[in-house]
Amino acid sequence: MYRKALHRSAMALAGTASLITLAAGCASSSGGSAASGRTTVTFDYLWTGAEANSLQQIIKQFNASQKQITVVGISNPDTQKQLASMSSSTGSFDISDNFGNNVGSWAAKGILAPLTSYMQAAGTRASDFVPAAMDQVTYQGQVYSLPIALHDFELLYNKKEFAAAGIAGPPTTTGQLAADIAKLTKVNKNGQITQLGLGNPDTETTMTTLGYVFGGTWDGAHNSTPSPQDAGNVAALNFYTQNITDKYGAANVAKFTAGWGQYGSPQDPFYTGKVAMVIDGEWQPVMAKENAPNLDWGVADIPYPVGDPSMVGTTQLTASTLFVPANAPHKQAAFTFMNYLTSPSVMLKFTLALGNLPARTSLLDNPAYNSIPDFSVWLQALKSPNVHALASQPYSAQYSTDLTTAFTSVMVGSVTPASAMAQVASQAKAYGTP
Amino acid sequence: MTAVDHAAPDQAVPAPPADIRRAPARAATRVARSGLRVLTVLVLVAAFAFPFAVMITTSFKPTADIFHAPPEFWPAHWTLANFRAVFTAMPFWQYLGNTVLLSALNVAGTLFACPLVAYALAKLRWRGRGPLLVLVLATMMLPPQVTLIPVYLIWNHLHAVNTYWPLVVPAFCGTPFLIFMIRQFLINVPNELLEAARIDGASELRIYRTVVLPLARPALAAAAVFQFVWTWTDFLNPLIYLNSPSKYTLSIGLYNFFSEHGVDWGPLLAACVLFTIPAFCIFLAGQRYFVEGIATRGLK
Amino acid sequence: MTSDRAARPRRRSRARRSQLLWGLAFASPWLIGGAVFIAYPIVISAYYSLTNFNLFQSPQFVGLANYRAMVADSVFWKSLENTVYLTVTGVVLTLVLSLGAALILNLPVRGQPLFRALVYLPTIVPVVVTGYLWRWLMNVQYGWVDRILGLLHLPQPDWLESTTWGTRGVLLMTLWTIGGPTVIYLAALKDVPKELYEAATVDGAGPIARFRHITWPVISPVTLFQVIVSVIAYLQIFTQPYLLSQTSLNASTGGPGNSMLTYSIYLFENAFVYLKMGYASAMAWVLFLVTMVVTAVVLISSRRWVHYDGR
Repeated sequence: MYRKALHRSAMALAGTASLITLAAGCASSSGGSAASGRTTVTFDYLWTGAEANSLQQIIKQFNASQKQITVVGISNPDTQKQLASMSSSTGSFDISDNFGNNVGSWAAKGILAPLTSYMQAAGTRASDFVPAAMDQVTYQGQVYSLPIALHDFELLYNKKEFAAAGIAGPPTTTGQLAADIAKLTKVNKNGQITQLGLGNPDTETTMTTLGYVFGGTWDGAHNSTPSPQDAGNVAALNFYTQNITDKYGAANVAKFTAGWGQYGSPQDPFYTGKVAMVIDGEWQPVMAKENAPNLDWGVADIPYPVGDPSMVGTTQLTASTLFVPANAPHKQAAFTFMNYLTSPSVMLKFTLALGNLPARTSLLDNPAYNSIPDFSVWLQALKSPNVHALASQPYSAQYSTDLTTAFTSVMVGSVTPASAMAQVASQAKAYGTP
Repeated sequence: MTAVDHAAPDQAVPAPPADIRRAPARAATRVARSGLRVLTVLVLVAAFAFPFAVMITTSFKPTADIFHAPPEFWPAHWTLANFRAVFTAMPFWQYLGNTVLLSALNVAGTLFACPLVAYALAKLRWRGRGPLLVLVLATMMLPPQVTLIPVYLIWNHLHAVNTYWPLVVPAFCGTPFLIFMIRQFLINVPNELLEAARIDGASELRIYRTVVLPLARPALAAAAVFQFVWTWTDFLNPLIYLNSPSKYTLSIGLYNFFSEHGVDWGPLLAACVLFTIPAFCIFLAGQRYFVEGIATRGLK
Repeated sequence: MTSDRAARPRRRSRARRSQLLWGLAFASPWLIGGAVFIAYPIVISAYYSLTNFNLFQSPQFVGLANYRAMVADSVFWKSLENTVYLTVTGVVLTLVLSLGAALILNLPVRGQPLFRALVYLPTIVPVVVTGYLWRWLMNVQYGWVDRILGLLHLPQPDWLESTTWGTRGVLLMTLWTIGGPTVIYLAALKDVPKELYEAATVDGAGPIARFRHITWPVISPVTLFQVIVSVIAYLQIFTQPYLLSQTSLNASTGGPGNSMLTYSIYLFENAFVYLKMGYASAMAWVLFLVTMVVTAVVLISSRRWVHYDGR
């Protein structure tokens, strides 16, 4: 009887041990074994769905075009996982993408591989890329990322609603914008809002862009310190409260907003006519065609403040960038692939497929982009001198969260713009150096 | 809540024998009372079951019907499109397999470690027993947030982030709650059996293996079921430690599914249904242990 | 004679030593694990709380700066406020509702095991499923919660989209899973000796009096257990509000205006998003102290209202 128990427990132990070994073996092997002589580069990217598909096509072409490197592409939309991987001693990927405004924070922590020397060796010039984008990816004189796709924001409007309200064309000044919002916001007999003149696809983007429009700046004179209380920023928030929340009642607006469908789906409030205007990015033509093919819409430059025509063409720029983590196993091979991705022809193909703006100045006038209707408004905006980008500093992540919370509180009417920005300013004192 | 009636005493009027006259009234009250009881229970259970019903019916609706305000309960059209979408959008079977593997390993660890420690706390008489019991109980109150970061750094140092090691090894060290539960059970094991074996010259290890473990089977079964469910439904640990989609468990797989913008509620809820089915089956199989194993003895 | 008496202590100490060794041997999995995963981390996290540490570079000692920053951090106080609200309301509601549900389930009706199972089922559903399901149910346009409230002519809040109803939404979700406490109470109710009820009924006590003087005191040890477990769980609550406030692309959670930002979520954000591990460690220690203090208060007060041995 003892022997049977011994036997049974030995079997159990052996079984468990083999299971653990199996698990450890499966778990610790990173995907893709190197085929004879070729270096395997793991490309973890945030893109999903259709964008991921076009990326996979490009990867396949790259692999077929040369014999030294095999790229394995994995779609992994979780930004926190990136950070987690970069914190281990050996990374689970060699190259990935993120937004330009994270570069400064990550470079300061030493988790990005500097690319300047690789660029020099490959003959890639920083001056070929849009300056505002290059600013974001450069930290203390070194380039840490290459931008592949840019985004900027313009005013989209529902042509049918405009016609119904008797408005001839899109507003060009903020004064006209305010008047149009009033004409396009509808309240039913129960006091509930049924249509809003200006929508809000992304709180942070809308408000920070409006801040730039009104002459404000979010990161101080040298793009290195938080400046939430800048006069232009507060003026932008006041514009919103005066024309929307205070006028129609914050609670009513909140109730209306709460009932909106998901952004970018067929239930999107702009697609379903619940809002008449939105400030949104250049991916809209592709997205609108897919989700609301019958929507009659147009796009125009964001209005400039009354009496200040020098602010014409103000917009905010964000950049999708590629980076190589400092703990990447194959840095040189990763950069070779990055160079390929950001080369003019491949960048053209990729940005066309995604409906994003190219990061190279040479591509800004490429006729291929005419295949996307209304794309030129966004494209030409990149040439304007009034293109701004949020700073890429170590405090940026927390600043962004605090700003968004403050904006939401302002839009709900629980705090005035001035005090909300003062609140963020006092929180900013604690950002320090993490 | 007993079924005692409080029928009014009879009046002092000459009447036919009391039982015959009272019988129909008492029966009516009893029926009304039991009807009320059944109704109350049904309302309670319906409140708990309603969300499941919504989840299931919505997963069979086509997308257009899902976004109907106000919502309608019963699907006007039935479709399997959402379920098909789940299988194309995520590697469901891979996630399921990963989760089963992790859960099995954790159960193995629990069954190895918890009875060992419980036995040390219940039956062995040694100097450290009292202090150890206090320590085990105290750690139940320790917020995991306190040890979260250092433990993550330990695993990071060992190159074990993005592997299953951090998710399995802790089970092999024992879980305080389960240790305590088994300990309460073992206390009730009669000492005579152990003494008899000791007199026969068996070592403690042999006593443990041949006498204690077989007797502790109900508690072990309960512990196994608990550990399985906890690992199955664990969210925070896989969230922190797993970075590659191929290693994800069901919980993180579903979380990842939602992370993409523009996710449809139809496929998401269909995925929820699929994720719930295994848990439901485990529950049906081990119902006895869940509902009876947790409560009683462990609390006294 | 003397040799015997001398031999006995020697034998006893040898036996005691061997028992000690066996005890340590059997307890070794937990002792080793405890040392590595509990004792060492506790000490080192106390050290981290006195540093600035971003995970990628070595920690820099800053003394009590993190704790001072906490006092001035309005987001910290908001997260604490949310957590305290959840704890107080959640624990009270959990006790009341689970005891009520247990009393109802204890009624003599047929099919009790099935009903018990249905009430318990939500607790073993993966919490991710529960999170998304309730997110859907609390959707302002398409969800059933507001629809049912509307049918009952009650006000329909914006739940997860509101800056004030977020925590109540979290409660709605957590209270769906009170199957665990309910089942524990159910077992405790069944353990109340029937003779006590019968004696009380003979004395003329109605159902409410029976509950107050018999049921409640007899199950009070179980209530104490429930209170302590619930308080600890709510102080640490993370997963439910995290899922309910998750935005697509996995951006920062916490809900509009930090309506659902609980202490643990803010701790997690500081650690893994802002990479302020020192600050997060300080937050963890404050949580530890608060948990100990609250548990101690509950235990001390329990002497007044808990009756042991069914007295």
